[in-house]
Amino acid sequence: MKEVIVMNEEIELFFGPQHPGAPGNVGFKLKLKGERVLDVELIPGFLHRGFEKMMENRWWEVNVVLSSRYCVEDPDNMELGYVLAVDDLYGVEVPEKANHVRTVVAEMSRIQSHLFWIMFMGAGLGARYIPSWAMAAREEILKWYDYLTGHRIYHHYMVPGGIRWNVPQDFNERTLHTLNTVSKIVRDIEEAFITNKIVRERTEGVGVVKGSIAVELGVSGPTLRAAGIPYDIRKADPYASYGKVSFEVPVGSRGDSYDRIKIRVKEIYESIKIIEQLLPKINYEDKAYRLQLPTIPPNGEGLGRVEAARGEHLVHVVNLRSRYPYRVRIRPPSMPLLTTVLKYIVSNEEVTIADFPVIVKSLDPCAPDIDR
Amino acid sequence: MVIKTFKVGLKYLLRRPYTRLVPDREGPLTSDRTRGRHVLDMSKCTGCSMCQKVCPADAIQMVKVEGPWPQNVKKIFPRIDYQRCTFCGMCVEACPFNALSMTNISGWYLITRDKKSTLYNPEKLSKVFETKEYRITMVKSLAEVQRLKKEGESNA
Repeated sequence: MKEVIVMNEEIELFFGPQHPGAPGNVGFKLKLKGERVLDVELIPGFLHRGFEKMMENRWWEVNVVLSSRYCVEDPDNMELGYVLAVDDLYGVEVPEKANHVRTVVAEMSRIQSHLFWIMFMGAGLGARYIPSWAMAAREEILKWYDYLTGHRIYHHYMVPGGIRWNVPQDFNERTLHTLNTVSKIVRDIEEAFITNKIVRERTEGVGVVKGSIAVELGVSGPTLRAAGIPYDIRKADPYASYGKVSFEVPVGSRGDSYDRIKIRVKEIYESIKIIEQLLPKINYEDKAYRLQLPTIPPNGEGLGRVEAARGEHLVHVVNLRSRYPYRVRIRPPSMPLLTTVLKYIVSNEEVTIADFPVIVKSLDPCAPDIDR
Repeated sequence: MVIKTFKVGLKYLLRRPYTRLVPDREGPLTSDRTRGRHVLDMSKCTGCSMCQKVCPADAIQMVKVEGPWPQNVKKIFPRIDYQRCTFCGMCVEACPFNALSMTNISGWYLITRDKKSTLYNPEKLSKVFETKEYRITMVKSLAEVQRLKKEGESNA
């Protein structure tokens, strides 16, 4: 007769940052009883580089180079947030062409980020075929970025007052070609991954965050929309060219992990729709794409907020008549996801150690965004 | 439900691999706008140090180079440390005399085993075309680079 050892006492387990189930470079301290997770504590700081302080020692236009680096997966929305704040400080209206191209670039960034997340989610659920397809689609977008901006990951394409370089003549065809390739792969992923029975069984009813509680916890972005609240800054407070296009905001009903998966895939289609509407509006003969701004902005404050792939990204800049910012404050979208939301989920439902990576990845936090 | 997954999976199984053989078959992925190694036109540089001031990674230092430089009284030129450079292109944009420009030499072309060789002196920066593989395209002042390229070819 075999002896079975049942552990009845609580143990502490360190999870990440070197764990395949961890969402990037953050660690967790889990309190376990048997298989059940009782409590979770976030261990951030592995990627802390002090961006807010670094920005105070660099010129206004140079800070764009730093601003794309708080989130590797979604760099252009971060750049756009900073650039909008500085534009607000200068009090200028950027040319229409620049606004259109900014929107196209930001939406491409969202698609790229969601594809990267599909890779994560597939790997977290053990569906090994999904990551390679999603990465192939993302690679097409990275090639497109190289063609337009000159780099694959950190583009630095936006500058205060417009965009850095003019768009090439074959921009329209090239972008449509890229979108075509991407949407084909996304359709395949939807068919194979979203409708898959195993995926549904592992994610339905896991990690539920309901509407009113999500608002209290300070969540924004797809997690909030999965909870049934149609809040999207692109609709609520349109910036760049979002006021000139029509698109839908996908909303979930149950607020579980499966809803979050569905919503992100739907958002990819909506982003493709936005880009397709904007492409004919770009005037290739128009030479005004960048304003020449004075090196020292006027005194005061500027505010820029964008709907990044993970939620509301807010940048607040203060100037005291200098070439250097007096203060740059960033409100990241990922911070509440791993602190308040994760704690709420763990305390509110029975989370096992096998569910934990699924919940964390379905929230889609960005580790460098938390540390900055 | 699961059969659908197999169906789509089979489609991808029969396709050719997406990855490329680098560096055996192909070079690094570049486009016309790829930002890579810098080129310095020493006959234009006035030693104003704008590139050094604007560099967010602190990769540029101004060093002295002896020689007949009528436009450069202090005789200082940028030296770029490629261990620090992030290829953001800010120095190229800030240069008021179009002396600095960028090529699309990137990727493993710049990889080296010798740590000291990542420091590019002004003389090394002004010599552009070491191999014929490089396609020279520019972010700023394309005509200048083409002129330099012709000079380089005629010298070699």
